[in-house]
Amino acid sequence: MLNQELFITIITDISIWFVLYLIVTVALNLQYGYTGIPNFGMVLSVAGGAYVTGALAGRIARLYYSVGTDLDFVADSAKIASMINDRLATDPLAGIALFLLIIVIAMLVNAFLGFIVAYPSIKVREVYLMMVLIAAGEAIRIVGENYYPLVGGTTWVQVPNVFIWLGDSQRIAVSVLFVGIAFLVFLLVQRIVGSPFGRLIRAVRENETVVESLGKDTVGIRALVFVLGSAIASLAGVLYAFHSHAVMATAFQRSSWTFLPWLMLMLGGKGNNKGTLAGTFLLIIVRRLIMIFKYEIQQFVPVEAIWLELLLMSGFLILIMIYRPEGLIAEKPIKIRDLDYQDMADTSARSGESNEGGQWVKWQLE
Amino acid sequence: MLPAYVSGAIIYSNLLMLLSIGFTFAYLTAKVPNFAHGGNAAIGIYVTFTLVTVLELNPYWAILLAFPICGLTSALIYRGVIQALKRRGAGLISLSIATIAAQMLIFASVNIYADYMRGIAGQYARVFLYRNQDFEVMGLPGVLLVSTVLAVTIITLLHVMLTRTKFGIATRATVENADLAGTLGIDTELVSLISWFVTGGLAGIAGTLLPLWFQSTPYTGALILMSVFSASVVGGMSSIYGAMVGGYVIGLTEVLGTSFLADRFGSWVLPYRSLIPLIAMFIILLGVPEGLAGMAEKINIGHIRRSVFRPSTFVGRGGSPDA
Repeated sequence: MLNQELFITIITDISIWFVLYLIVTVALNLQYGYTGIPNFGMVLSVAGGAYVTGALAGRIARLYYSVGTDLDFVADSAKIASMINDRLATDPLAGIALFLLIIVIAMLVNAFLGFIVAYPSIKVREVYLMMVLIAAGEAIRIVGENYYPLVGGTTWVQVPNVFIWLGDSQRIAVSVLFVGIAFLVFLLVQRIVGSPFGRLIRAVRENETVVESLGKDTVGIRALVFVLGSAIASLAGVLYAFHSHAVMATAFQRSSWTFLPWLMLMLGGKGNNKGTLAGTFLLIIVRRLIMIFKYEIQQFVPVEAIWLELLLMSGFLILIMIYRPEGLIAEKPIKIRDLDYQDMADTSARSGESNEGGQWVKWQLE
Repeated sequence: MLPAYVSGAIIYSNLLMLLSIGFTFAYLTAKVPNFAHGGNAAIGIYVTFTLVTVLELNPYWAILLAFPICGLTSALIYRGVIQALKRRGAGLISLSIATIAAQMLIFASVNIYADYMRGIAGQYARVFLYRNQDFEVMGLPGVLLVSTVLAVTIITLLHVMLTRTKFGIATRATVENADLAGTLGIDTELVSLISWFVTGGLAGIAGTLLPLWFQSTPYTGALILMSVFSASVVGGMSSIYGAMVGGYVIGLTEVLGTSFLADRFGSWVLPYRSLIPLIAMFIILLGVPEGLAGMAEKINIGHIRRSVFRPSTFVGRGGSPDA
């Protein structure tokens, strides 16, 4: 059944990419959509997660099984990985333990990295934060592409296949597992933004001075959210590395891991996770379609697919921002219990105001 | 005879100065950081490429050609994107993303152009260096002289324009308080548009001279933007004189610092060159977030105090300039 095989390939492929980008976009939504931190260096955390996986997964497994310790980790990484995979094939527990251990390490490392990067600029002007984050995103690429022992510079390192013991069902099982992880992340962020803390961060976004005057430490809150978002985004890098069984520094470009998540967020609608989900899904489908029909497209437009894609995406982002700045699904204001919206609407109607507040109340009543 | 790395440092500082003046100036008038600034430099680089490799002309003609091309690109970004968004009440962050989108648009276009040119110029359309196309004066590379003369001329022109002409006064008023300037009949949007045209053109000029000394690729524009950020932060993002000094400080630190470190620790340091401006930016933000112009303001240096742009735009966290 060739068709079924193809169908499974397409579905798993789309779901993996969807999951990776969903995690990044949800993290970005937490940072920018809810808290108003302009993270233009998302690639920093994603690459950070992948680098941790590439640099540590093989080394830890090598130590644990003490195989191939005399080989060069980067140059012979394929050989080492296959030795480790032979052992992992009969050792599911070690595989799972390695997977979880790397996730924990990557999240801790990237939380720390996020803290270091944001610390000098999060309390000064917004513009400075943007510039520092853009520069930091470039910096991690420069380090990754040049520091050979990390993930092999412009070559790559092999990552052990921690799910090899699943055998033939591996592809589907891993997709299901990753979808589950993304779902958990989504729920976690949804819980965070639905909690009182979620209201607090929205307040920080809207008016820092007011929040400050109520005795809250806005710098601390912004730093906390940034660190949390960095840790979440690094998860995408880890999953990417474990999925593709390799880490290549050149794969972590600004266009695909900072710009694309921003586009997804702006398309779906910032400040609400359902919109983020919709935006991510739509763009993943479009992107995959471009990739699948690459050759057909190139017959009409003699341009390499990656530049054509970037051209279309950036033009599209500008159009969305001009014509539909709230995205596909607009953010809904928070509904507060015990507040009489009908009464407020009447008052504002009586006073003949057509201001934003009145509009907001009307919105609540819908 | 100057050692090559000293020439390189001076050339780089001159070009970086032009770029960071432009970045700061565009930011001050429109209150939007132009992240597409590196894109304009990339266009400039490819203007030189086209003239030298395809048309086989002297690379210096590119200066004349790149100024209007990059200026128009920049003005188009302002008119088509920034103004459209501002009219819809977009905030600082949205405007900044839009300039990043514009940068990506330019980046993709430049790459498409480079791929297209591959058919004509072969492999060299993606990585090129034109040191051998340059002339020499008394053993000094021509681009060293040209970039220095250009930098001095442009700064003088800018200074005269800002202090002696009516348009300059309107610009300064817009920088200080756009709303108030508007009530006095100054078309602040026009002022911003013109300043984006000029700064885009300057970025283009800086771009045209880069391939005469430094290896250039479609990526160079994005990479040099890191140094531009750093130079502008050192300058305080509040005065074009600050940006001028910042450009020189970062340019010299970056090039000379890299050669020094490479001498000391070996050539493996060289690829990490772009990390130096990042580290410098961190140090400045931790120590003196208001930059050199703010420091000068504090210690009350008369000359800079009367400078064109007083650092009154510096506000603490929460008071974003577009509020």
